[in-house]
Amino acid sequence: MFHQPMTFKQALELRSELGADATVINGGTDVVVAMNHGAIKPTCFLDLSGINAIRKIDRDNGHLILGAGVTFAQLGKLHVRTLKEASLSVGGPAIRNMGTIGGNIATASPAGDGCVALLALGADVQLSSKDRGQRWIPLVDYFIDYRKTALADDELIQAVRIPYNPRSRWYKIGKRGAVNISLVCCAVSQNEDKKTQLAFGCVGPIPRTAPKASALLNGETLSAELIDDVANLVAQEVSPIDDQRGSAAYRRAMCSTLTKRLLTQLMEDNPKGDADA
Amino acid sequence: MIQQVTTTESDKAQDAPIAPPDHLVGKSCRRIDGKEKVTGTALYGADLFPNSAELFASVVRSQHAHANITAIDTTKALEVAGVLGVYTHADVGGTNIHGLIRRDHPALASKRVRYLGDAIAVVVAKTERAAKLGRDRVEVSYEPLPVIATMEQAIADGACKLYPEGNVMGDKRIRKGDVELALANSHVVVTDTFFTQTVDHAFLDIEAGTGHWDGQVLTLYVAGQWVHEERRLIALALGLPVEQIRIIQPVTGGAFGGREDISIQIYLGLAALKHQGKTIALRYTRSESMRARHKRHALKIESTFGAKADGTLTAARIVVHSDEGAYASTGIAVMRKAASHATGPYRVPNVEVDVYGVHTNNNPTGAMRGFGACQMAIAYEGMMDRIARALNMDREAFRRKNLIQSGDTVTTGQHVDPVSIGHCLSKAIAKFKERPYPGNDKLPDYMRRGWGMSAICFGLGYGDGFPDCSRARVEMNDDGTATVYTGGVEVGQGLLNTMMQIAGEDLGLPMEHMRIVAADTELTDESGSSSATRQTYFTGNAVRMAASELREQVLDIAGIKLKVHPHEITLQQGWAFETAKPDNRVSIQQICTEGLTRGYSLKATALFKPRTITEVPQTGQSPRAFITYLFGAHVSQVLVNMETGEVKVERHIAAHDVGKAVNPQSVEGQIVGGVAQGLGMALMEEVTYKDGRIMNPGLTDYIIPTIKDLPPVEAIIVEHDDPGGPFGAHGVGEPPLIGAVPAILSAIYDATGKAPCELPMNPERTWRLINDVRENDPLSKVF
Ligand SMILES: Cc1cc2nc3c(=O)[nH]c(=O)nc-3n(C[C@H](O)[C@H](O)[C@H](O)COP(=O)(O)OP(=O)(O)OC[C@H]3O[C@@H](n4cnc5c(N)ncnc54)[C@H](O)[C@@H]3O)c2cc1C
Repeated sequence: MFHQPMTFKQALELRSELGADATVINGGTDVVVAMNHGAIKPTCFLDLSGINAIRKIDRDNGHLILGAGVTFAQLGKLHVRTLKEASLSVGGPAIRNMGTIGGNIATASPAGDGCVALLALGADVQLSSKDRGQRWIPLVDYFIDYRKTALADDELIQAVRIPYNPRSRWYKIGKRGAVNISLVCCAVSQNEDKKTQLAFGCVGPIPRTAPKASALLNGETLSAELIDDVANLVAQEVSPIDDQRGSAAYRRAMCSTLTKRLLTQLMEDNPKGDADA
Repeated sequence: MIQQVTTTESDKAQDAPIAPPDHLVGKSCRRIDGKEKVTGTALYGADLFPNSAELFASVVRSQHAHANITAIDTTKALEVAGVLGVYTHADVGGTNIHGLIRRDHPALASKRVRYLGDAIAVVVAKTERAAKLGRDRVEVSYEPLPVIATMEQAIADGACKLYPEGNVMGDKRIRKGDVELALANSHVVVTDTFFTQTVDHAFLDIEAGTGHWDGQVLTLYVAGQWVHEERRLIALALGLPVEQIRIIQPVTGGAFGGREDISIQIYLGLAALKHQGKTIALRYTRSESMRARHKRHALKIESTFGAKADGTLTAARIVVHSDEGAYASTGIAVMRKAASHATGPYRVPNVEVDVYGVHTNNNPTGAMRGFGACQMAIAYEGMMDRIARALNMDREAFRRKNLIQSGDTVTTGQHVDPVSIGHCLSKAIAKFKERPYPGNDKLPDYMRRGWGMSAICFGLGYGDGFPDCSRARVEMNDDGTATVYTGGVEVGQGLLNTMMQIAGEDLGLPMEHMRIVAADTELTDESGSSSATRQTYFTGNAVRMAASELREQVLDIAGIKLKVHPHEITLQQGWAFETAKPDNRVSIQQICTEGLTRGYSLKATALFKPRTITEVPQTGQSPRAFITYLFGAHVSQVLVNMETGEVKVERHIAAHDVGKAVNPQSVEGQIVGGVAQGLGMALMEEVTYKDGRIMNPGLTDYIIPTIKDLPPVEAIIVEHDDPGGPFGAHGVGEPPLIGAVPAILSAIYDATGKAPCELPMNPERTWRLINDVRENDPLSKVF
């Protein structure tokens, strides 16, 4: 069966009715690959790609609300630098035209570039169900363990909320210039109260933040010494593993390096700590 | 009807002036296979599926990298709905063995498996899905044997032997002069060890094809690189006479050596023989393709070079261990090519080279673009940079001091003439210097720029006395066009155009009047393989010889018609005319009609079979190991992020002496493609194994370059007539890859001050090199 609801309400009804039996699909850039590899064998689809309401970006009270169906191509046009650059680093043009931020969050891969940028931005995610309504939870609480998330079987991701105007930076290390899976990626953002967040991809089972290191930064004006301390702390905080894409030692070192590089850029580009133009 | 139209048109044309000469050799004639490839109408192996397949095959592969097979139970597979047959070694009529040089690779394993790609059974079913279900139900019982995962394990005392003779498959050596003494008397002696990686061909067009047996002829539509040899191997394995097998090459999307070994042909043939009258289809997935196919040899190269204070090279001692994987494939030839190219285009009076091929339970290793010469260039060019640095000499000046010149010998003792390596290097460096080098001035402190160079040589053809020949036939058709018949396969390199242009040049025909039939064992004669950079030279020569002979017939007939001596006639644009009096003319079409009635055959065949000489085994010396040598030089400029190890190639210049560019655009295409593939090898490509299992059998984790990784390649075509080549041409297929890798490594060395010795230089390896981090390195191959 292939269900293609045109409204989010219908989608929630179907989701509630079909539960885990239906494979939710939007851009299909993860689902179809998994099918081709035989990792999943769906018999029933719930396709969200017909729902225009979740393909929009809205402004709300100092925040941006990104519908779950917003594509990376759309995000690539945003001014929020870390999310823009992360989005433009995803796959190639075809993938960016199809792949959605909701799909990225639902897949919850430790290499999910969108997830890492959103974590640094302190995003909240909106999970909705027919019977229980909507709930906003911090994205950081949404990721539980390897590919395990807070999303219930009757829920869909509806939207993500990020601050409107943070200062932020992004860097992804991969093995080539495009269609490039992260070896390590790092996102930082700092809001007007100098609340600073660091997030990393590929250094553990889930996309993650570095709360201890981030805490050192909060409310502080960036300085070279502070940045060094934070970078050192990051190396202790993350827990990467060896895999065939790269070693734990390299990834750990890169977390420090990228932290230092990105924070230094934030400091140098804008010593007073103003918001991005 | 058609006849009439033709007559009217040619009548009109009778009055028109003859178009000026259009030399096909040297002209970038549009690729005749271009339009259908670009518009998607070309039929590749997998495209034959929906059209013609009636039954589908699937291959059962080993679950163990090394094991004895104790039982094969097909009962459950045969119970799958739609499965019509499951065939094992017991069903194979012939030797059930293939292998390009040694016959050692069972088509369907019976007693033992030596790598995870080993095939055990072929399932035939009504649908592809049923064939795969059946495949998964075949029950094979194994008695596992210790897995030899690395060369180090293979040569360790008491290692489990893959073959009764042991794990060392063979060796090749070079002995020249007195290395011991020369090193002792050298001003500097530099030693380093290089580790090159296992590389996959990663061609686009995954193995796929069809087979059909009508009771008389087994017809296989399968892409290979040498249809006539494949036919012989299939015949032996299946126990069928050669003449009962016909192979037709579908349009082919790349090969790079990866289609030299037998792939799906024997499985398809076996399935077809068992299901007479049905067209059987078989295609791999990318992961099956990567798990089954042979790979480029990973080499460990221990190099010691000595030089005098003035920079003159004195001696080289080189020990190579080569991971041959489970079966021999073309390994022996790769080892020999590695040995004979161990010191590249440099004059080294005293040389000792020992190459050992070592069997492991990894995939067999065999042909891939560069064929052993590629890995050695990484080592010898790496050494040139290291010695220049040790002597505090300029890298280019040091190379120039030692590059061979016309009439010098290469390391096998063969005199080479002409030698254009110095010229290629000058051209590449001059091109590089056309634009100012930006250096490090404007870069942040963690970024470093560098540039480097390479100078390489390549012996063309199989060489070493291995029989190497091409046949060709050229025929005039009665509409005045000419058809070239060649067994050579077009794998994307441009062979079809090259052969048509060579023949058309001799016959004075425009490209529109040229036709070609290629790579069909029924219609064409043996032209050897599309490998070893040999087709332009070998088949090109055969085509040239046949076309020249045909030209004589055409001139004879024209002489009779025009009443002048054939020597006084010019062939141009489909006309024959009296050179001094162009109005006295006759169309080639008329000549064809006339000729056939006068009893001329208007056909010619030719065999081109030059001789090379087998090396003396103890010394590796041979006066003519290769038919001719090719030269090329590259310059590469890179930007390195010293903190992350990321490397970006900013510029890449490649100058190659191709003798004569028959089709300059095709030559440039080969150069650009070779650089792209070389960049992949230098920076990203690597098959990783764990206990014989490929950990990245797909393009998600087997990383090849994208267009974003490639700078605009600056290709320079250098032309020094090759006295033995058709119109002075030789070839260009492999050298661009060979030159690209060391030039990029040289640039990394320049940028970082650290000399790379392990490939590929992906971000982590580069970071480890820069920071001297050795520990906790799961990627390292160092032993
Ligand atoms: C060639 C290629 C390159 C890629 N490169 C990158 C890259 O560089 N970086 C990166 O991060 N990713 C990359 N990806 C992965 C993929 O594109 C992203 O994860 C993308 O965000 C998935 O979005 P989608 O809409 O296509 O998801 P789909 O495939 O449609 O769905 C993915 C998962 O999300 C679920 N889902 C989708 N929408 C919702 C929803 N609203 N509510 C609940 N569940 C939902 C689905 O059930 C499924 O489990 C790449 C993929 C490919 C094929």
